Amino acid sequence: MSAGRLVGRPVRRREDERILRGGTRYLDDIDPPGAAHVAFVRSSFAHARITGVNVPDGLDGVTAVITAADLEGRVSDLPVQGFDGGRVSAEGHPVLARDEVRYAGQPVAAVLAESRALAEDAAELVEVDYEPLEPVLAARSSDVTMTHWHKLTGDVDGAFASAEHVVRASHALPRLAPVPMETRGAIASHDARDDMLTVWVSAQDSHRQLAGLAKVLDRAEEAIHVVVPDVGGAFGSKGAPAPETMLVAAAAIATGRTVKWAEHRGENFVASYQGRGVEAELELAFDAGGRMLALRARIWADLGGYLMPTTAIPGHTTAMLMCGVYDIRAADVELIGRRTNKVPTGPYRGAGRPEAAYFLECTVDVAARQLGLDPLELRRRNLIRELPYETALGWTYDSGDYARCLELAEELVEPERLSDGERVVGTGFGMYVERAGGQYETAEAELLPDGRVLVRSGSSPHGQGHDTTFAQLAAERLGIELADVELRFGDSKEVPRGVGTFASRSVAMGGSAVVEAADALRERCRSVAARLLAVAEDELEWKGGGRLAAPHGRSVTLSELAAAEPDIRVSARFSSDLSFSSGAYGAVVEIERATGRLRVLRLAAVDDAGTIVNPLLAEGQVIGGTAQGLGQCLVEEAAYDEAGNPTFASFVGYSLLTAAEMPPVTTAFVESPSPLNPLGAKGIGEGGSIGTPGAVANAVADALGGARVDPPFSEDKLWRALREAGR
Amino acid sequence: MKPARFDYAAPATVDETLGLLDDDATVLAGGQSLVPLLNLRLAQPALVVDIGGVAELDYIRAEDGALRIGATTRQAALERSQLARDDWPLLHKAVRLVGHPQIRTRGTVGGSVAHADPAAELPVALTALGARFHLASRRGVRSLGAAELFLGPLYTSREPDELLVEIEVPAQPDGSASGFAEHARTHGDFATAGAAAVVAPGRAGIALLGAAPVPVRAEAAERALAAGAAPHEAAELAAADIDDDYRRALCTELARRAIAEATP
Repeated sequence: MSAGRLVGRPVRRREDERILRGGTRYLDDIDPPGAAHVAFVRSSFAHARITGVNVPDGLDGVTAVITAADLEGRVSDLPVQGFDGGRVSAEGHPVLARDEVRYAGQPVAAVLAESRALAEDAAELVEVDYEPLEPVLAARSSDVTMTHWHKLTGDVDGAFASAEHVVRASHALPRLAPVPMETRGAIASHDARDDMLTVWVSAQDSHRQLAGLAKVLDRAEEAIHVVVPDVGGAFGSKGAPAPETMLVAAAAIATGRTVKWAEHRGENFVASYQGRGVEAELELAFDAGGRMLALRARIWADLGGYLMPTTAIPGHTTAMLMCGVYDIRAADVELIGRRTNKVPTGPYRGAGRPEAAYFLECTVDVAARQLGLDPLELRRRNLIRELPYETALGWTYDSGDYARCLELAEELVEPERLSDGERVVGTGFGMYVERAGGQYETAEAELLPDGRVLVRSGSSPHGQGHDTTFAQLAAERLGIELADVELRFGDSKEVPRGVGTFASRSVAMGGSAVVEAADALRERCRSVAARLLAVAEDELEWKGGGRLAAPHGRSVTLSELAAAEPDIRVSARFSSDLSFSSGAYGAVVEIERATGRLRVLRLAAVDDAGTIVNPLLAEGQVIGGTAQGLGQCLVEEAAYDEAGNPTFASFVGYSLLTAAEMPPVTTAFVESPSPLNPLGAKGIGEGGSIGTPGAVANAVADALGGARVDPPFSEDKLWRALREAGR
Repeated sequence: MKPARFDYAAPATVDETLGLLDDDATVLAGGQSLVPLLNLRLAQPALVVDIGGVAELDYIRAEDGALRIGATTRQAALERSQLARDDWPLLHKAVRLVGHPQIRTRGTVGGSVAHADPAAELPVALTALGARFHLASRRGVRSLGAAELFLGPLYTSREPDELLVEIEVPAQPDGSASGFAEHARTHGDFATAGAAAVVAPGRAGIALLGAAPVPVRAEAAERALAAGAAPHEAAELAAADIDDDYRRALCTELARRAIAEATP
């Protein structure tokens, strides 16, 4: 689709006025009368045996205290999603801990009381007897492998044996807390008359929650109604259903009460699944001309105490993307995901892609230094130039222009290198390729009596701007005004079954479903109009403003069509293979000699997400992702002490960047349309968080004269690195 | 995230307040530190005495050349005070670095002192300025210097029945100038280190944040500076006793910046 009347235009987010005026209704704004409120008793140990749970009698205002024993036979552990070609163990997260806790913060019991305050008071009085066990706090010191994947393609050993240069590097990315502005939460009520369970949940979409509830509660999907209200951010952390949501639902069924849990910030820090927590060792074999012959990579993932439904996925994505944007024909990649005594990890903005990009791009810069080549020249010699391209690891990149992205990033960032008495300045680049989209998505379009069009989407917004982008798509296809398209999301009874909002898939998948639904509605309208006007369908001309014109000046409007034919409603289901977005990021950084303070002076972000539907919102996604990528570089780390206690469990211990730390970011889009969908779109939601860390890390290494440290690039690490490097 | 149960009192006068203070009571002023501690249940007092309504403690005035700041004076009021800005500019420089504007609108000067967070800006600035801290109780009034008041992180020599009522900052000598420098992970975050300096011909007050569990005067540096040492020489003396090599380097640099700013 080429730039049209609406598609390709920087339309402002039409949902913002309601949000900024406080017209939104988030989970905790829902206040059902007579609800019982939940507070969780959470483990204070990283690893312990539970020998008893003692609930005092006569707790003030308490309806029930629920432990694992009360749930026996009522719930199963959370389901675990696997991946192709590997092993994933069935260590699903229990709703409440039974005889063992595997991380500090794990739910052990739930108190239901007449108010949240009473529930919290009572939760403090529940005594859990723990027998502490030795915690395992690093993937490589764990002997329990929960996920494993290994792929060997081509003659890797031969390539290394004959290589002119072999480059080795190891890198680590710490765990990160997702920290959405709105924490998690769920409300459930069970109507015994028709056995209908209704669950309101702060989530990325309704249908994954629905499927999770059905599975854990062993309940027919038809007997569950999931409503996702306005959602104040997720960054991946509200995709998979949470154990706490399951408890709330089970408690509503068991007690007959409406049950509400609105997570507080401290819980969110310790119990919401985290991102990253991965380390890797890489080896690259080069010929005399600096051509990459083969790659070896071993990736260790610190997965935490259990597998959340999607814990296994990011590691697999990392492994599959290890060849990046380079033409490497032989690869030996192994992923080893280990059990540790920390909260589980899971998808967090980027979800495996930033890890792959970081590991590989940092190694490429190490190689450039070792081979005595300019890092950009080394990249240019190895970029994939002809697409589609099937990688040695088995994914097919659909389209892209990696060389153009790199060229633009270099031009926009204005490289700089300097060393004086006060500071050192360096420049670095990082490229990426990301899997986006895939699976299917749905949409329904309905002609309303007033001639407006209602679109129900299986995709669901939590900050992305679906209401604007999807309306642009439908209005463009139907030739009507943006204001004449209304979107609905998030209610499992109302919207068609969809897959959800994650993996940068909304425009490519959800948007394509909207386009197909709009096209189907158009055909349906044409056929009704032909009947009304007694002409052949192909004689009708689709005019602007929702009017179909027949020859000789006769015409019919969409509202007239709606009056004549009451149920003009169509649905579409769009499915496709994965598409692959890509990009090149450049960073210029300065390290202050006296203090080690890192300042990112400027960033260039070049992304290729295929056709861009709304450049304003796309740029917003890039800048937001960049801020998260920078946060990871500069300050963020979910750290644990030697006993496995989180040391970051509030904003005192976990810093987020503020506007004051944001450098100028120059953005640019290269548009290589995807052949896989009618829009030519890919994904833009995660590029900033994927491209930024590698570029900043390479710039830091450049400033340090080649010395490498792992993020976060805190001032004490950089100060020491500068001294050790003798810079 | 709710506090444990407590009783609440909102006295209107200092006298009334003093009648309520004992071992089980905690004073609430601006609430910017206490309320999070209550919500995290790290503080579980039986009684919270809210002095927000004690109007007689809300003032900034000069008296006999000294600056007198009532304990419930908002940090934002100090930030806006022309009097402080003209004659005690170090306070203006320091208070601007306390949290974010929203926090300073609620947070009080007395609260920042009494809470004694080792990362707080105002205690270190007041230490450099040689401030006196007036504590009242039914037993009487006493006046302490910084070294007597600040005993450790979140720990002062204030007795449970005492209320910090006023901070008195002595007149600064003619020709004095000041500097404040700090290092924080992000804008508005707690400082990891900092330095306050007020320098006049033949006299200097230098205090460090992050060098010890409490704000400390760097006396050797003060003497060296008064004797004509260069900022970088005095700065090295100021941080010389810090064991950790990075922290020593950081404090040295921040002291150098603060002193350089104060010695135009």
